[in-house]
Amino acid sequence: MKVIALIAVIMTGTLLIYGAGDMPDWGDPNSPANSYVSPRYILEATEKTATPNIVTAVLADYRSYDTMGETVVVFTAALGCVLMLRKKRNGEGG
Amino acid sequence: MLDYVISKYNFWIYIILMMIGLYAMIGKKNLVKKLIGMNIFQSAIILFYVSTGVKAGATVPILSGHGHGHGHEVIEVAKYINPLPHVLMLTAIVVSIATTGVAIATLILIYRKYNTLEEDEILMIRKETGV
Amino acid sequence: MIWQLDLILCLFIIICAIAAINVKDLLAAVIILGAYSFFMCLLWTEMGAVDVAFTEASVGAGVGTVLFIAAVSKTKRRSKD
Repeated sequence: MKVIALIAVIMTGTLLIYGAGDMPDWGDPNSPANSYVSPRYILEATEKTATPNIVTAVLADYRSYDTMGETVVVFTAALGCVLMLRKKRNGEGG
Repeated sequence: MLDYVISKYNFWIYIILMMIGLYAMIGKKNLVKKLIGMNIFQSAIILFYVSTGVKAGATVPILSGHGHGHGHEVIEVAKYINPLPHVLMLTAIVVSIATTGVAIATLILIYRKYNTLEEDEILMIRKETGV
Repeated sequence: MIWQLDLILCLFIIICAIAAINVKDLLAAVIILGAYSFFMCLLWTEMGAVDVAFTEASVGAGVGTVLFIAAVSKTKRRSKD
């Protein structure tokens, strides 16, 4: 089992190292991740939302539906924990 | 070649971290160890994602000065780190803790039923009882 | 970003990860995972992701460690591997 795990891990690692060759260099300001959506946030966030912290502006103003979905996920997880770990009453199955 | 390795050294470190987590998820028999491996795997991916937004010579994405934005000072995009990966990964961290909580609840249920947390012992008990 | 600091923190993180999956005492493994989370938080501060570092320090290292300790205290502490 351990040998199989090691072989699988080494194969996945080789594949990932091969794939990482196409990534841009670290800290490159002109990489694709840094040049399409985020300049608009950096330029407009303070003006439109009057919040100096761009991360909170994007989190709570531009993408607030995302944050709402996150709270739904956390609520569902808490509900699942409570339902799984509650004390069973007598005669209750499961 | 050496230049190539050094310019992307952070990616190699994240790959090593991810492989440690993957090995713990597949190779370890204890269920808590598997969960620890899952946590390591998740945080390695989050680390990779955050590191794509790093710009050399930039500062944290909080604008200095007063927060009213009169538009007098010119904002340079290259001076602030990309905030978008941070926003997405904030959500991912909280969701990862939620999944860990559900996994731990399942773990406690498994322990109550089989009285062990080793994967091979659980499989043996299941085979003996014929489930 | 300072690459020397980054490299040292990355090495500490890898050492913590290897130790966390190799220790036989599960409580020790969980505490090492907490240390791993705090090193991760330092690394994010160094990368400039201060909000992510805040969340990791409170949620990842705090709540996560508490959840794991609760699980270990409700179940067995020894592990075979």
